[in-house]
Amino acid sequence: MDGRLANTWKLTVNEKKFIETALASNLRIDGRNPLEYRKITIKFGRQELQEEKNNGVPLMSCYCVIIASVLPLEDGSSEVQLGQTHVMGLVTGQLVQPYQDRQNEGTLSIFTEFSPMADPSFEPGRPGESAVELGRIVDRGLSFSMECFPKNMESRAVDTESLCVLAGKLVWAIRIDLHILDNGGNLVDAANIAALASLLTFRRPECTLGGEDGQEVTVHPPECFPTSYAFYKSESSGGLLMYQINWITVVGVENGFSYNEREPLPLIVHHLPIAITFAFFGGEGKMVVDPVHSEEAVMGGRMTVTVNANGDICAIQKGGGEGVPQSAIMHCLQLASLSAESITKKIKNAVEAYNTERALRKIKRHPTSDAGNVSVAALDVIEQNKTIEQVEGSELSRHHLERLKLVPEDTCSSRGDDNDADIKPSEQGGTGRVQGNAVNFLGGPSSWDPYSKGVDPDSLKASLASRGVSTRHMKQNGSGENSPKTEPEKPTKDIKQATLATDTSGTALQTNGEKTLKDAVKPKNKRRKRASPSMKGS
Amino acid sequence: MECKSSGSPVTFVDNVVVPGDVVVDLSSMTNQTIKLGGGLRQDCDAISVMKAGKLRFSKPNKYWVETSQKRYVPCVEDSVLGIVVDSKSDNFLIDIKGPALAFLPVLAFEGGTRRNIPKFEAGTLLYVRVVKANPGMNPELSCTDASGKAAEFGALKDGYMFECSTGLSRMLLSSPTCPVLEALGKKLSFEIAVGLNGRVWVNSNSPSIVIIVANAIMNSESLSGVQQKIMAEKLLHKIQLIVLEGYILDCKWTIVEESVTFEIFAHLPSALKDAQDFELRIRIDPLQVLL
Repeated sequence: MDGRLANTWKLTVNEKKFIETALASNLRIDGRNPLEYRKITIKFGRQELQEEKNNGVPLMSCYCVIIASVLPLEDGSSEVQLGQTHVMGLVTGQLVQPYQDRQNEGTLSIFTEFSPMADPSFEPGRPGESAVELGRIVDRGLSFSMECFPKNMESRAVDTESLCVLAGKLVWAIRIDLHILDNGGNLVDAANIAALASLLTFRRPECTLGGEDGQEVTVHPPECFPTSYAFYKSESSGGLLMYQINWITVVGVENGFSYNEREPLPLIVHHLPIAITFAFFGGEGKMVVDPVHSEEAVMGGRMTVTVNANGDICAIQKGGGEGVPQSAIMHCLQLASLSAESITKKIKNAVEAYNTERALRKIKRHPTSDAGNVSVAALDVIEQNKTIEQVEGSELSRHHLERLKLVPEDTCSSRGDDNDADIKPSEQGGTGRVQGNAVNFLGGPSSWDPYSKGVDPDSLKASLASRGVSTRHMKQNGSGENSPKTEPEKPTKDIKQATLATDTSGTALQTNGEKTLKDAVKPKNKRRKRASPSMKGS
Repeated sequence: MECKSSGSPVTFVDNVVVPGDVVVDLSSMTNQTIKLGGGLRQDCDAISVMKAGKLRFSKPNKYWVETSQKRYVPCVEDSVLGIVVDSKSDNFLIDIKGPALAFLPVLAFEGGTRRNIPKFEAGTLLYVRVVKANPGMNPELSCTDASGKAAEFGALKDGYMFECSTGLSRMLLSSPTCPVLEALGKKLSFEIAVGLNGRVWVNSNSPSIVIIVANAIMNSESLSGVQQKIMAEKLLHKIQLIVLEGYILDCKWTIVEESVTFEIFAHLPSALKDAQDFELRIRIDPLQVLL
């Protein structure tokens, strides 16, 4: 009994009285206005984890790998801080058999973890009342609107139909884990933001159907993995069994490289339902938004409104004993839709920044090659999508060899000149490498993103232009700059720039246009201006 | 009795130590008695550290490690803020943020007898002193000083209590007076009670002063002395501007494309008109603006 008494947190009489009297004059204990939200910080998983994971994983000998570990760890994890409240969200996916009544839909489930470290009043083990309620509110926000508009599937936050791989046989089960790390009040809103942020950054491996009967599922690993996996339908058992789904067999490996790898797909999220919590105090109808821990202990009633940026109400949850008049509810809805807009903007900005970083990191991740290789790779773009291995293995054309001889070793240093002004110094090394390895991207599917529309016509133009450039008509146009350098060097440089341009524009599409990448695209425009006369010339 | 020959304690004193550090070597200091406080232990001839914190030394022979943490480890003669959890026939059960609830005997008050037992409801805030803190036992508290006088101990009425780390509360109690309290105290009048267990109680006439002081103290956790002073002065400057609102006579506003323009008619003291960085902070109730 003694231990339990020590663990239950009790508000002192003084605090209770003070919170109430201060609120009477529109003051809150942390100095906020009654309708002011706390500061939101959103962080995402760290890249180091992934780097570690990918380096020399002996996948060849692995026969049993669950999907969750195939995914890079960083994607789909987020940490949200709302004042003192701290919540971690983690999204994972697994291939399972669908429910009988929804054969062509994936599933979305939410699990909450209330650790006693966050608050001593949380008991370890079984989920408490508040843990269940929190999970239900987030869940309802994400899926409830489906019930409201059963015909309009788009009203759901997450498109579960796109998670179907093989109708009736294999679908993705998306699992959201919400870990409460510190309880500073208003866990619902923080957990909801964490769930959304991690859903937006989650990526699942692409699946395609193949085989004679079109029933063989191939799971395309993220491109950083040097092998591919396939699911085999077991003929003997007469269908897919749950445990067999989780067994992965390595197929199609050639010299450690496979041509099956594809960029993992993000989930299709139609809108972001944002939960806003209001606390009600006493009979005078005092109301505050985003209550802190001690305010939650004093409040009479609580209402969580889940709305999206368009002002659609997805869910309402009213807790606590106190009754609330209709006018107050309408007022809350108004206020909620206002703050939902700003919170949506914050989440989107954070996700966008993360995507930019991810794209840049992907560029860095590619294996380094020396200057000679770089120029080969750059030339390779002109030769239309040959992979590095092919170029290395096959005999180089006379044209290539000639070009190679002319390219001096110091191209590495000259490379920097192209980007100096546009790219941040920290990223320079990585972006420098892009130019050489852009081939890898062009080889892969450019339409991995459901929203992207293939290759940007502008970038195509740019690459065409660069091809014109490569026929050395560039001499006349570009002679103004880089005068001390030898002539043959220029075409290679230009090609590299163009490669960068095509590549970055591709990435820019995927990540909905971020600042850094846009900056990197700048040379493309310059290039176009300069290159177009050369096209005419040729 | 002073440790002369051993160079090691001197280098560690007032520095950050981590568990495993050997701070005193007893083989080099024979014929001495030293007293060990919290966070230190003896392994044969070596005194090693068990907690991360700053090593302190007090003449003639006391060593201990000062830590900053959320949980409080009771120590005799500490004055702490406790919350009444339950009352039994001969003890009150008090939460002092420690690993176990503390006992406050009902007779441990000035002039306490069986007849005049005070009544405290659950949730009452008390300023108390730790008198017994033995391992394996619930700590014992008292509401009197060593000579049996009440001496400021007892229930704290009104005001606001907030929790902080034990390091911050030690900083607030340090002498000379902590810069943040000194700066705030020059301009504002408030009462404060700091418990070594990481609880601070603040009281004042107006709730806004309490909120300002409480937040200033909580923000000063990781600030140096100078930074604390700057922070407190900035805060006080802001408050003065809010006070100016009292001079405002009339205010009109017009809304043009989502931005609001204010026209303020105020009767200002002449001294203020000359101030260069004069700005008015207007508090608008968003409720009113919306409706």
